[in-house]
Amino acid sequence: MLAYIIRRLGVALLVTAGVAAISYALLHVIAPNPAFVALGDRSSPIAVAAWDKTHGYDRPEVVQILDYIWNIARLHFGYSYKLNQSVGALLKENVGRSAYLSLASLVLALVIAIPLGVFQAVRRNSYFDYSVTTANFVLYSMPSFFLGIILIQFFALDWHVLPPLVNDNITTTWGAIIHPEQLLLPVVTLAAIQVASFSRYMRSSALDTLAEDYIRLARAKGLSERVVLTRHLLRNACLPMITLIGLSIPTLLAGNLLIEYLFNYPGLGLMFYTALGNLDYNVMLAYVVLGGMLTVLGNLIADILLTVADPRVRL
Amino acid sequence: MTEPHEVRGEQWRVEHPWEDPLVPVRPDPLGGILPPDHPLGDGSAPEGGEIQTISSGWRLAVREFRSNRLAVLGLVVLIFFLLFSFAGPLVYHGNTTISNPLNANLAPGGGHPIGTDENGFDELARMMQGGQAAFEVGAYAALIAIVIGTLYGAVAGLVGGFIDGLMMRFVDVLLSIPFLFIVLVIATRYNGTVVEISMVLGVFSWLIPARLVRGEVLTLRERDFVSAARVMGGSKTRIVMRHLIPNAMSVTIVNVTFLIADSMLALAYLGALGFGLSYPRTSWGDMLGGALTYVQNGQWWLVYPVGACLVLVVLACNLVGDALRDALDVRLRRR
Repeated sequence: MLAYIIRRLGVALLVTAGVAAISYALLHVIAPNPAFVALGDRSSPIAVAAWDKTHGYDRPEVVQILDYIWNIARLHFGYSYKLNQSVGALLKENVGRSAYLSLASLVLALVIAIPLGVFQAVRRNSYFDYSVTTANFVLYSMPSFFLGIILIQFFALDWHVLPPLVNDNITTTWGAIIHPEQLLLPVVTLAAIQVASFSRYMRSSALDTLAEDYIRLARAKGLSERVVLTRHLLRNACLPMITLIGLSIPTLLAGNLLIEYLFNYPGLGLMFYTALGNLDYNVMLAYVVLGGMLTVLGNLIADILLTVADPRVRL
Repeated sequence: MTEPHEVRGEQWRVEHPWEDPLVPVRPDPLGGILPPDHPLGDGSAPEGGEIQTISSGWRLAVREFRSNRLAVLGLVVLIFFLLFSFAGPLVYHGNTTISNPLNANLAPGGGHPIGTDENGFDELARMMQGGQAAFEVGAYAALIAIVIGTLYGAVAGLVGGFIDGLMMRFVDVLLSIPFLFIVLVIATRYNGTVVEISMVLGVFSWLIPARLVRGEVLTLRERDFVSAARVMGGSKTRIVMRHLIPNAMSVTIVNVTFLIADSMLALAYLGALGFGLSYPRTSWGDMLGGALTYVQNGQWWLVYPVGACLVLVVLACNLVGDALRDALDVRLRRR
């Protein structure tokens, strides 16, 4: 077990280094150096050369990439020349609000999707099953921002029960937590998109589990249907969800970006969007690399958790 | 993947009873062979002329696809939107190039069935343009992705060994970079033509097809029917053309529809974030860029018709893709 974790950790570190290298190289291809962004479009070649020298952009590309990987390894994400502060400080400022949005929606999605999938499997091919499957299919094909617009239309504009945008006063994570009504629409929108894919997998996983002998045995023992479903079915059917959550992290982050943009909620996604407009390269790079790191980490944790939760999974 | 379906699939592959004209066969309406004790197959010898034989897996797949009503509906929706986007402009002419403030933000009615936007462009004609962009970008991006992915996966699967490992680790690294982020970073530099956006989307979505094709090639190489063909003296070309390619094709075809759907969604996301096509071309995502302002101003006609087009087309692609997967991949057949 320990050897497996160490080996997987090594692979994860290598993949993260690869992500940093490829992102840096790619940015280097499309935008040779950020001097023009920092100094302005009409800066003189001498000024650009001097700026390159002070900031290390005159070194060979390979050295720059290796240096960047070394910086990432120490969690040094560079400096934002547009906002005049270190990217690390920017990330630290925004990460709490984004994490809150993501986690809240993930938890909500699981709380809805897991029972939904089980009920669909138990009443399979019923009208309930068909209508939920249809709704899931539509949600799955719907861009998250469009779903957000529809929710804003109903809950904010037509019925006036929730605010259409997140209030500008929400500046801290704590502020977001104590004003749940402000974040209800973003969280629900982000959760709905995830419910679509989660409950689909949950349904098929529960269907597979329902056909197992131990379910038949549990029923034959005379256990009540409730106990069969919660004790025997649910626990086993949830196992594939662990992997699925790990795999859905890129989707979650992309959803975060669009939802933060739509609802004007200041988090990492909105920071990234602003950086795109400003051509603030180090911030863009940091967010891409951070996304890659979270993806790798998510898969790693999911695999380890699965071996802990399911003794049948052998390493 | 429950047991009986697996058995049915294997039976289908191994025995091929319909190839022997002497064996009476009652095909299962769902696309398999009924066991003799099945209630639908009475076990007695059928009357002459009743026997329905199936000549190839492809025809079986077509029948399976046609039996899925949702998928046929999806196909009809796709054909409708293809006609709407490409044949529509021949029938319906609307102004989409000359901005006219006097005509701006008109509600539906009069000469504009779906109203006009803030530039005075006709919304219906713009929707047709957006449809063209969606289908073009979807098709080009899927084509680029599938060509790169199939070649890469097939090479990795056939070569094997250390090179295969190296190639797949590279795919792992690229897969760890969130797709939308890297596309957006590149989007800060491109000019917003259909070809450019398709290339960017295609170049970053070949990873999943590459993995699938590699896995398929790896398993197909070792499958019994390939060994059997080899034992029976089938030439290498015959094995590749008759056995490997048709079987790997199903994975590719199924994946193309999902790639098209994903590329259309990605195009919509790019457009909504303001990194879409540039004037005079437009996409449905571009048109939804100001959706929040529109709904706040009560201009519903600028939001919901476009959004409905987007959802319907992506939904139809996903439905067709799902049905194709059910129809082509016998091992996954569940219904």
